[in-house]
Amino acid sequence: MLGVTRVDAPAGCDPANPWLALSAVVDEVLAETPGVATYRIRIQDEDAARRFRYRPGQFNMLYLPGLGEIAISISGDPSIASPLPHTIREAGRITQALAKMGTGAPIGLRGPFGTSWPVDDCAGKDVILVAGGIGLAPLRPAIYTLLANRPHFGELTLLYGARTPDDLLYTCEFDDWRKKGLTVFTTVDRATRGWHAHVRPHPGCGQFQFPLEENRGAWTGNVGVVTLLLERLRLGRPRETVLITCGPEIMMWYTTQTARGLGLSETNLWMSWERNMNCAVGLCGHCQFGPKFICKDGPVFRYDRIAPFLEVKSL
Amino acid sequence: MSHEQHVKRECIALELLRTMPLLEALPDRLLAGLVPIAAVEHAEANRVLFKEGAICDRLFFVSDGIVALDMYVPRRDPTRILTVGAGDVLAWSALLSDQRMTCTATVMEDATLVSIAAQPLRQLCEADHEIGFAFMQCMSFALSRRLLATRLQLLDLFSESQPV
Amino acid sequence: MPEVEQPSDSHPTAFLPTADLQILIDRLMDDGFQVVGPTVDQGAIVYDEIRSIQELPRGWTDLQEAGKYRLKRRDDDACFGFVVGPHSWKRFLFPPMAQVASADRVDAAWVMRTPTDDPPRYAFLGVRACELAAIDVQDKVFLRGPYVDPIYKKRREAAFIIAVNCTQAAPTCFCTSMKTGPRCKSGFDLALTEIRDGFLLEIGSQAGRTLADRLPTSPATQPQLEAAEAARHRAVEQITKTLDTTDIRNLLLGNLEHPRWNEVAKRCLSCTNCTMVCPTCFCSSVVEVADLTGDHVERQRQWDSCFNSDFSYMNGGVVRNDISSRYRQWLTHKLASWHDQFGSSGCVGCGRCITWCPVGIDLTEEVAAIRGKKFASISLVQLDGGNQQAPTRSADSSGEAPPPCSA
Repeated sequence: MLGVTRVDAPAGCDPANPWLALSAVVDEVLAETPGVATYRIRIQDEDAARRFRYRPGQFNMLYLPGLGEIAISISGDPSIASPLPHTIREAGRITQALAKMGTGAPIGLRGPFGTSWPVDDCAGKDVILVAGGIGLAPLRPAIYTLLANRPHFGELTLLYGARTPDDLLYTCEFDDWRKKGLTVFTTVDRATRGWHAHVRPHPGCGQFQFPLEENRGAWTGNVGVVTLLLERLRLGRPRETVLITCGPEIMMWYTTQTARGLGLSETNLWMSWERNMNCAVGLCGHCQFGPKFICKDGPVFRYDRIAPFLEVKSL
Repeated sequence: MSHEQHVKRECIALELLRTMPLLEALPDRLLAGLVPIAAVEHAEANRVLFKEGAICDRLFFVSDGIVALDMYVPRRDPTRILTVGAGDVLAWSALLSDQRMTCTATVMEDATLVSIAAQPLRQLCEADHEIGFAFMQCMSFALSRRLLATRLQLLDLFSESQPV
Repeated sequence: MPEVEQPSDSHPTAFLPTADLQILIDRLMDDGFQVVGPTVDQGAIVYDEIRSIQELPRGWTDLQEAGKYRLKRRDDDACFGFVVGPHSWKRFLFPPMAQVASADRVDAAWVMRTPTDDPPRYAFLGVRACELAAIDVQDKVFLRGPYVDPIYKKRREAAFIIAVNCTQAAPTCFCTSMKTGPRCKSGFDLALTEIRDGFLLEIGSQAGRTLADRLPTSPATQPQLEAAEAARHRAVEQITKTLDTTDIRNLLLGNLEHPRWNEVAKRCLSCTNCTMVCPTCFCSSVVEVADLTGDHVERQRQWDSCFNSDFSYMNGGVVRNDISSRYRQWLTHKLASWHDQFGSSGCVGCGRCITWCPVGIDLTEEVAAIRGKKFASISLVQLDGGNQQAPTRSADSSGEAPPPCSA
């Protein structure tokens, strides 16, 4: 029962010497939502930068010497090798230091690691992407790939929930995605705007994130957990529908249960699981989830392969 | 205060009742019992279906469209609790408790609603226990789903983690 | 690394007198090896650099049971008359602390480097069968996965292994259940079986043969062969502990909510001793070590343990935030998940975790309890095909000798 590990010698990690990081720099920082920014990272060595290839759902280990490494999903378009966007929320020591250093910060990079979203297997099928909070970041590469190959797929739908309207990521891209054939529904847990202490307008993807002054405070979209959006979908062909989801564990759990209730097959449900990441190469033991290593067997898992472990507390 | 003025109500067809996901488990005989006391309503955006604290004597099932539920908290802006859509039930207090609404319901996107008069519905359930039991099962299921969704909102899963 | 030259149960053909073991050590040192072997230190038999057979624990044996380890004088001066101690060979192949990378700030950029790694070439003297199995288990982890650990690889490829066949067993040994011993079958360059006046020598590789040719051996006589066989057989006879491994992967991964986990958690201190002494545990963490300027940073890999409270820290909280879930992680990884991950058990039956647990937790008992063979200190209603058994409350487990588990 050895796990399926697809590792094709990642450009940023030598299988014979997996600790050596590539020298890289933060090219640009795009503020996204309060506390969240996208860091576009450029590998210094041009040849290595050009050769870097990743699949949607994979992650890099970003290294701040003296502080440590963090595992961050690559949130960009996989057809663009450089720079590599990573959408990161300020939470702990390392992410706060990175936010402070900002553009020009010299860092290290190892990767890409992990399994990826099954975009190829979605050919001919309907796809529902369900994202929660910052969980949209690891899904965005899948969205780009699906839309770049639109004719190969059936209905494409994104269901996206965040805490408040201010926390919805990448909203300025939604219209473009809709035009390219992705149906987008959003929802929030709380309709309050201006929740955060200081809300300053800053360029996210080239335009202001927040609506005009008159409309601030009036969210007219959906309110409630994102699983409600899934429950309301009328599915044309549930057995030919693939669902991929990323967000808090409880959200992903209820999403997959709702999907099963709607008639989707357990072999068509995919989720991205997370654990403490230290080496990212299966040698340190930290990232285990039951018998699976998140770094090698995940982070993307097919539902039926980890179903027995999903409901076990503190696993 | 009843909202019956300015409301255009049509007779409901059995077929439409059968399309409501919450009622689809009911056998035809039971659905047929609801037909005389149910109606179809079309509500445009911005119409207020019922107000928080007011008496409402009809139960609503959403067939199409979006309805927002808001609650008023003193010294705060009205708080949007939830938006409901196709397949959801509204105003169950009309049937299950004292008919006083706990939220204000405002239509966000043009909606098609199936409404059932609460008093006749209660009498029907009391007179025919089979209908009563089956209908209450549907309501219980709807409420349990709503409770779970509310709990997930309450968990505040996206709240920021503590810094190291 | 030894390549097996002969089939694993070839008969030993040579005899080396006890005193000439020194020549073996000398030849290895002449060849540039650092000889590491058992020696007495701090009241235990540990592995350390040795140069003389006088540094071996001659005439010492170990008394081991759950939570207890003592040295005791033998009435002979056997060189290897003991079992295994708190050290394993992993401390040389997978060192407790090692630098894995460095970063130097040069002109506002970081230059990443791999440190020069120049370890001694080790000759391990006295590797038991369970330890050979443990080395093989760690080989799978560090060498045969998609990523290779260069530190382990360098030390492993240079290592010369002289195995020793056990001639006795401790109450904590259960290598027979794990099918790893007590007989050394492969994975060594030379293997010794100690009898009264010396050692029977088996060749396990070309390198072993080359060394044996330089030793003053004589062809083994029939009485010597029989004495060796009898000595090895003593080890088998003395093993009393068993672990029932029948379908153990599904047993443990199918019982992740078993009440036993909470029960053992009442006793377990989460002290990490078991993981430190276990010859196959490989958890580690890499930490940053910066100099005063902050411009030179070393990345240092240190042994870690799944029992450490923040081992599973993530996003503001700890996933395994109680002892129950941490003990469960260790045991299910060792005996169950390891099969999924590496195609074998992670346990070699050496019994160290039992000996060195301060509260004497015995993993063979824990597995038996989950199998439902024995309940200790808790009342548990067992549903068995619809027939409810009355709750049983047996004596406190720490006071009872474990019943033998059925094989």
